Amino acid sequence: MSSRCHDCVGVALALGLAVAMAALTASCEREERDTKAPPESQISVSSVALSPLQPGEASAPPGGSHRSIEENAFNLAQGKQLYTWFNCSGCHAHGGGDIGPALMDDQWLYGSEIENVYATIVQGRPNGMPSFRNRIPDQQVWQIAAYVRSMSGLTPATASPSRSDEMQNKPAEQSMPRQEPKDTHP
Amino acid sequence: MRRLSGSGVVVALVLLGGCQGVQSALDPAGDQAGGIAGLFWLFLGVLGAIYLLVLVLLVGALLGLRQRAATERRLTGLLTAWAGGTTIIILGLTAFSYGTDARITRLGDDAELTIEVTAKQFWWQVKYVEPQPSRSFETANEVYLPVGVPVRFILKSQDVIHSFWIPNLHGKTDLIPGRVNETSITARRAGVYRGQCAEFCGFQHAHMALDAVAVPAPEFEAWRESRLKPAPTPTPEDQLRSEGLQVFLTSPCVMCHTIRGTSASSRVGPDLTHVAGRRTIAAGALPYSRGNLGGWIVNPQSIKPGSQMPDIQLEPDQLQALLAYLDSLT
Amino acid sequence: MRGKPVWSIGLIAMLMVGAGVAKAQVTVTAPASAAPADDGNWVMPAKNYASTRYSELDQINSQNVSGLRVEFTFSTGLVRGHEAAPLVADGTMYIVTPFPNYVFALDLTKPGAPVKWKYEPKPVSAAQGVACCDFVNRGAALADGRLFFNTLDNRTIALDAASGAELWKTSLGDINKGETMTMAPLVVKGKVLVGNSGGEFGVRGWLTALDAASGKIAWRAWHTGPDSDVLIGPDYQPFYDKEKGKDLGVATWPPNQWEIGGGTAWGWISYDPDVNLIYYGTANPGPWNPEQRPGDNKWTGGIFARNPDTGQARWFYQVVPHDLYDHDGINELILLDMPVGAPGDAPGNRQTRKVLVRPERNGYVYVIDRTSGEVLSADPFAYINSTAGVDLKTGDIHYVDAKQPVMGQVVRDICPTAPGAKDWNPSAFSPRTGLIYIPHMNVCMDWESQEANYIAGTPYVGANVRMFAGPGGNRGELSAWDPVKRAKAWSIKEDLPLWSGALATAGDVVFYGTMEGWFKAVDARSGAELWRFKAGSGIIGQPITYRGPDGRQYVAVLSGVGGWAGAVVAGDLDTRDPTAAKGFAGAVPDLKERTNKGGMLYVFALP
Repeated sequence: MSSRCHDCVGVALALGLAVAMAALTASCEREERDTKAPPESQISVSSVALSPLQPGEASAPPGGSHRSIEENAFNLAQGKQLYTWFNCSGCHAHGGGDIGPALMDDQWLYGSEIENVYATIVQGRPNGMPSFRNRIPDQQVWQIAAYVRSMSGLTPATASPSRSDEMQNKPAEQSMPRQEPKDTHP
Repeated sequence: MRRLSGSGVVVALVLLGGCQGVQSALDPAGDQAGGIAGLFWLFLGVLGAIYLLVLVLLVGALLGLRQRAATERRLTGLLTAWAGGTTIIILGLTAFSYGTDARITRLGDDAELTIEVTAKQFWWQVKYVEPQPSRSFETANEVYLPVGVPVRFILKSQDVIHSFWIPNLHGKTDLIPGRVNETSITARRAGVYRGQCAEFCGFQHAHMALDAVAVPAPEFEAWRESRLKPAPTPTPEDQLRSEGLQVFLTSPCVMCHTIRGTSASSRVGPDLTHVAGRRTIAAGALPYSRGNLGGWIVNPQSIKPGSQMPDIQLEPDQLQALLAYLDSLT
Repeated sequence: MRGKPVWSIGLIAMLMVGAGVAKAQVTVTAPASAAPADDGNWVMPAKNYASTRYSELDQINSQNVSGLRVEFTFSTGLVRGHEAAPLVADGTMYIVTPFPNYVFALDLTKPGAPVKWKYEPKPVSAAQGVACCDFVNRGAALADGRLFFNTLDNRTIALDAASGAELWKTSLGDINKGETMTMAPLVVKGKVLVGNSGGEFGVRGWLTALDAASGKIAWRAWHTGPDSDVLIGPDYQPFYDKEKGKDLGVATWPPNQWEIGGGTAWGWISYDPDVNLIYYGTANPGPWNPEQRPGDNKWTGGIFARNPDTGQARWFYQVVPHDLYDHDGINELILLDMPVGAPGDAPGNRQTRKVLVRPERNGYVYVIDRTSGEVLSADPFAYINSTAGVDLKTGDIHYVDAKQPVMGQVVRDICPTAPGAKDWNPSAFSPRTGLIYIPHMNVCMDWESQEANYIAGTPYVGANVRMFAGPGGNRGELSAWDPVKRAKAWSIKEDLPLWSGALATAGDVVFYGTMEGWFKAVDARSGAELWRFKAGSGIIGQPITYRGPDGRQYVAVLSGVGGWAGAVVAGDLDTRDPTAAKGFAGAVPDLKERTNKGGMLYVFALP
């Protein structure tokens, strides 16, 4: 009798520990590093909408199936590194803009969802944004797109990059107040 | 006793066998490593002897060997001799250590060749610096050293702290971002040696190796001249290689790599102007061969997961053309 | 010149000469062959080959300029930076706009100056993605009834000035290499001289001469690479030893770096017909990060003298060897004949020499013998802490060690900033006062070098820059520089940087515009402000003056803020990031509150 109770206590302790560990590791998702490119990473760009106007009854916009990309700290950190390496900062500075428009404000010329940003990077845009199709692999484009969204505070603060390693320019992406995207382009 | 000594000899032989090799600090091939190894053997010898003596005395005490009655004065004398001996030995070893360190540091004073190494995750950017800038050139993950010539290394890091370590040639020197460190190496014996990053720097710290090749001076000059040349442009008749160059310039390769002689001049990844002339690729992860290069291009994340090289999607004939071109860059 | 009898011209000329003599001390003049008598037109942005930007018209003078008022306006319909100088020839005014580079011809004979014709070159929109500093255009050039201008996407186009018909167009560059064209051509002896832009994109710079009649390339001088490309041959006789050597355009670069080395020619060209030499400067080497390009980086950051017929170089002086701060050497070169000596020398001890004077980007006024390339003096006109003077014997400039960029470190308080103490916006010279009117800046910067990756068609810079006002707090200044005394005669401090050109007239009035839109007229002798007008948008263009068909004198200027300095407004950038606009956002974070975008021509006259 007593030995069974002994086991009970041990088993209960072990179970409790296991549950606690699972809970802890689950919250580490934002730190997971998926270094391999996901097998199917092309979305059909035609599903991306650039206008909220829909004739007839408005239906819900296509779901953000790639939202999880921007909730991952590794992706955002990689995106930040690639942003400088691939000369995005040459045209967009650290979000303030230069040759290209500002990326840290609430104005989005071609849509603010991560799918829109992905499409902009891959397709290019007529007034000077180059097309990076076949130049930047898809997984990297998603990372850069996620980082671009973090520049205006649209990504979770727990995943966004913090203080830069370079000359301080704007507030860290982590501390950027969330700016709801505006669909106004005069 | 005899069994002990017999197995002791076997153990010693096995251990000594590990002293040889391309990455052994106990097989010095240069002045600096020689100094360090000399210090190692000195310490090992002296301290080993003391250790054995202490062991013998301990065993003797445990076995309860007969002690003669110790007088007060004899005990004091023994202890004084012991303490004095210890002090002299410590001071001596310290002096040798300082002296060796000073000597090694001064070896780089009259360096005739300067190499600038910038560590990045997870590869080595190597630049041979000449007073006339058009005679400087860059390569990656390899250093060629002329035998007998003191070489100064200027060590920088682009991202995190790494450590530069070619065990056969010298000890470790860190590469710290925001700081410039210097070290020097004088190789004395021709051969191929392996260097390794010696400060944990991330996912692939373990696969951040470096080829250090010491060659006689004339061979070094020939190597230097060959590395100075830009990559040859494929002739129009050479269709496969021309196509390969086109693939290089129109795929993700051009975003990260330099091939001098083409319009590709990015510094995110290693300089590939003479990639086919190197012994290994991916900082020592694989020996160079066309097949290995193909595997690396298409699926680097399964060879070195966490390295900055992404999986590149190419059509098979594009890949073959690209490999044909890269294979010509000796 | 309708309405004026011929003899009165001679009387006016005599009176002017007499007035000149009465001024006594002033012995600085522009060479007559390069600065001929004023016919009331304005056919090239620099006014003449000597680049004086000075008009002999004196109907508007320091006494009556306060009565100046708007005669007519014209909206270009565009709202990017308007840097051009309007041109006027025989009753027609010509304006080149920023991208998409429309050319308007306005009929000045009719009230309200209606559009006579409009030409649309339709440059490709993607060119906007490789234009470093807004989609500006600095103007056209008129010669022999033809108008020549450049488009952002690298075409030089010739139009018939009367009808606007296209005569020829020549494509000279490739936007996929990061090349654009923004400069105003210069027509010399039947050749149209044009240069490219793109030093921030790893472009290899050149100056090309096109045949004015056919548009075919007559010669092209590259600014990096082997001597055969740079057109350095037996005629080349530089003054200083540091410019001598074989294939310096290769030897002073790391291997193959000269191919993406910069040295573009997007600024001003002057011409001396007497010695038959053109003078112009080359821009910054690429990338901005100097550690990636050890060596002197010839032939960037310097001044070339070339034979306009063949392009062969006569001399070269490198103002900034191994440039550290993006100090392009493309500013205007004013050709003067003046007595040269030390500041304290008596007038009798001075020798009159043929010189060119340039208020340089690095903050010094250089006076260089234009026949030999010898630097006669280099005196600071702005606050400088990054260099410690120029050695006149060797021509070397001394860089201050503490202010040299180091990769991965932030070097603070470098003065002058990257756009310099003065950028492209040109100064004017008045032979009546002997002063050079320099519109410039007082801005400093923090700089952090980073590794730059060359990817064709994307920026190749490698520096984080953040700018701010220099000592004193004023970000701009108009200085009146006395080249003989080698000192400022007077200066006007401005809150905002000055990015407009200056205009000097025989009425002893100097015109310039501020970035918030004030167009000002000041007394050429004292600097007292005589008149001001608030334009709809900041002024970064070049003011001109001309004699209209009715014989009255008019002053014209384009307003429309932009350019590198005004990118914050023109591009609607976010000033929370001080490194936006390559650091300029840090210098003018208040610009959006002071002015808006615009694009308007203003023409003023006395009632």
